[in-house]
Amino acid sequence: MTAYILRRILYLIPTFFGATFLAFLIIQLAPGDYLTQLELDPKVTPETIARLRAQFGLDRPIYEQYLLWMNNLLHLNLGYSFAFQAPVLEVIWPRVVNSMVIVIPSTLLLYLVAIPIGVYGAVRQYSLGDRILSFLAYIGLSVPSFFLALIAIYVLLQIKFRTGTLIFPVSGMTSSGFEQMPPLRQILDIAWHAVVPVLVATANDIAGLSRLMRGQMLEVLGQDYIRTARAKGLAERVVLYKHAFRNAVIPFVATLGGLLPSLISGAGFVEVVMAWPGITPFFLDAIANQDLYVIAGFLTVSLVLLMIGNLISDLLLAWVDPRIRYE
Amino acid sequence: MRRALVWMAGLIALAGVASAQTFVWPQKWTVAKPSEVKRGGTLRAAVISDYRTFNPFITAEADSVPDLISGDRGLVRRDPTTGDWIPYMAESWTISPNKLEITFKIRRGMKWSDGKPITADDWIMTWRIHTDKAVGSNLYDTFFIDGKPITLRKIDDYTIRFIYPKTDADAFAVASFAPWPAHIFGPVYQKEGAEGIKKMWTLNEKPENIVSGGPWLIESYRPGERLVLKRNPAFGEWNKDEAGNPLPYLDRYEIKIVKDVNAQLAEFLAGNIDLFAPATVDHISQVRQAIQQGRLDATLKVNASPVASSQFMVFNWNKASDPFKQSLFRSDKFRRAMSHLVNRQAVIDIVYGGLGTPMYSSVYPVLTQWVNPKVPKYEYNPKQAAKLLAELGFTKKDKDGFLVDRQGRRLEFNLATNAGNNQREQIAKIFVDEAKKVGVKVNFQAIDFNTLVGQLLSSGPDRPFDAIIIGLSGGSLDWPFGPNVVPCKGNLHMWNKSGQCLDPRETQLDALYSRGRTELDFKKRVEIGYRMQEIEAQLLPVIYIAGPNYHPAWNNRLGGEHPDAIISSIWGQRELELTFIKK
Repeated sequence: MTAYILRRILYLIPTFFGATFLAFLIIQLAPGDYLTQLELDPKVTPETIARLRAQFGLDRPIYEQYLLWMNNLLHLNLGYSFAFQAPVLEVIWPRVVNSMVIVIPSTLLLYLVAIPIGVYGAVRQYSLGDRILSFLAYIGLSVPSFFLALIAIYVLLQIKFRTGTLIFPVSGMTSSGFEQMPPLRQILDIAWHAVVPVLVATANDIAGLSRLMRGQMLEVLGQDYIRTARAKGLAERVVLYKHAFRNAVIPFVATLGGLLPSLISGAGFVEVVMAWPGITPFFLDAIANQDLYVIAGFLTVSLVLLMIGNLISDLLLAWVDPRIRYE
Repeated sequence: MRRALVWMAGLIALAGVASAQTFVWPQKWTVAKPSEVKRGGTLRAAVISDYRTFNPFITAEADSVPDLISGDRGLVRRDPTTGDWIPYMAESWTISPNKLEITFKIRRGMKWSDGKPITADDWIMTWRIHTDKAVGSNLYDTFFIDGKPITLRKIDDYTIRFIYPKTDADAFAVASFAPWPAHIFGPVYQKEGAEGIKKMWTLNEKPENIVSGGPWLIESYRPGERLVLKRNPAFGEWNKDEAGNPLPYLDRYEIKIVKDVNAQLAEFLAGNIDLFAPATVDHISQVRQAIQQGRLDATLKVNASPVASSQFMVFNWNKASDPFKQSLFRSDKFRRAMSHLVNRQAVIDIVYGGLGTPMYSSVYPVLTQWVNPKVPKYEYNPKQAAKLLAELGFTKKDKDGFLVDRQGRRLEFNLATNAGNNQREQIAKIFVDEAKKVGVKVNFQAIDFNTLVGQLLSSGPDRPFDAIIIGLSGGSLDWPFGPNVVPCKGNLHMWNKSGQCLDPRETQLDALYSRGRTELDFKKRVEIGYRMQEIEAQLLPVIYIAGPNYHPAWNNRLGGEHPDAIISSIWGQRELELTFIKK
């Protein structure tokens, strides 16, 4: 087992270099650079732009820029943001933490809700409840999250117009005067702001995951050993949870590794629409501005987490599924 | 009073207010009387993009934190009611007989928020750092005229002299930069140079370490979320209203960062932010409805003024590889015909929902003092366009219904704009339709912004585009012609980047531009500007289209807005210092 883990880690090294170089190259393939925006400013002279380009190192060949950046990476320095004139980690970290306020509750909620729904749908297949849940799931799957967020804002505003009170805030993470609040009030305030974004961010994923769970469960329930279990007279509850459910969740263990990078990659467009100060709007800005090292640095962190996450999933899989052995 | 009198105003200031220690904010800048004003409260606003730094020397975006806390004003500022430069942190100035030196007497008794006095040293240090190439300040270019430096000299603690290499219409604009504390930046600059300066005042700096000479101090900043500013008491000691009350009236100015315009609208409709400028017809009608149905107590000024930016179509004169198109694009008859095909009214109706302004010259329509009303306008007129094209030899149509000349060459060109700008894409489609009606084939394509800029700013005898729709913004109120645009060698001389003037009228415009830039008499400068617009109209180097209007809105809990006459895209809806909370 130890040998297997070592071998896996060894494999990660070429993957890491290949992936970072590819990412770096693709960002650079986009036309223009961070300073192109400045070129349409009637006040800025071409000499100034050329000077800044040299200062930022953007006038050097791509491989040279990549090697310099790699050298920094090996010293655990993700690079420097052009737009913020500050180290990348320093500017992205607070956003990642803000995103986690949505991502962590949303992920927990997802598994807590989606798995029981999936199981219910499989056990009571084609019942009225299953049909209603399936219907809702298809709606959830087909409505993009940014649109769901806009609908949520619309509903909140309409309620405000009718009753005069805003049940949940329409945007942001904290209320004004947040700094003056005592710590407990601060936590409650953030929680109050997080309710709608968390629900919106979860809605889509619940739909997908519950359908997947339902399918897995149905497949397992059709297996011979379930019939055997029933035939030997086990209680239905024991059949479902001890024999069927345990086997049906195995594929989900493989997806747990993917949670690690998604922990930092933000909650998606909900953050943009609801003005949540997370990583998504920030990263989109960086892409629009071609803030090279912010994009590359963030991709690298995600990449490393993804690689570690995959390794962990594989190990977990071996642990829960006796059919899988690594030698 | 026009800006022609700016020099005289200076002399009056010298004689009249020489002893004054305070700057009195005139009553005519606000609709509210000092007696109805209430002190305290918080103004809540929203911005689209997050802040990037607190450092005044490396900030590059508009409405940055340094601009906000300093008020972005220096020795002089403009009076919004007249547009004139008036003494601000200076109490007076004198101009040398050769007009190359301006000596400012700095107001005494002004203090930084940490209690140190504001003196000539602060301006000198600020100027030094801005003009250090290694710092990369955005203001670097403003301290040079045609590559020659403007120098500052300290005469004594409260006297400073600006020395210009030539007479400059923008002389006062140069002197209006905001000073920053020399006792904070100076020691670091001396010890560590530009690198030390760049590391200062990042977003992680503690707010209490940020020293301000302007109306605000930073209270707190939460990345991606909110910037809260609080009143700087040191500012109120020398900035007063006419009743002698210290300014600003507000205790706090809170700015939320809301990246989505729809979310900003929602916040405004919910009464959570006080200021909003709806830009689309849909947003305007939502605000208007909310006000009419009594759901929101706010004021909306529709069509307050045009915006201070331009929007135009430019043809490429440098197409050595395609002599047919090159001679076409260089012909003013052709360009005039194209102007006759721009249906500006349709653009305003369809793209801006009727809330826009047509454009005919390089001077933004909002700069009413500068717009020459007599300049010929080549309005939408397809018949006239067809006639002009016939004179160019395009009399017959081919089997697809497009015009061809005697050699059978079809009148066809490519038109591009930046993808994602829906309004420009709509404008292009309207033009394509109108052109088709008279038999001109226009192939429209929306391309990535950076690629477009690359094509537009490429230089040499053969450049890779036919026509582009794009816009410019920014520029000076003292001399509203672009320093990079008009001169033939300019980087933004977009139609012709061969590096030299090709048309005698370009040479003429180039010369007039320099003359205007060095002309100090406002009236004479306006005359030169009028003449330039006449030549532009003949030459039509670019074809101006139309732009949206400025529609400011505010929640009625705010008082102290500008009188209607000065609410515009240039002066905004209010002075924050004179704004107060009614309830």
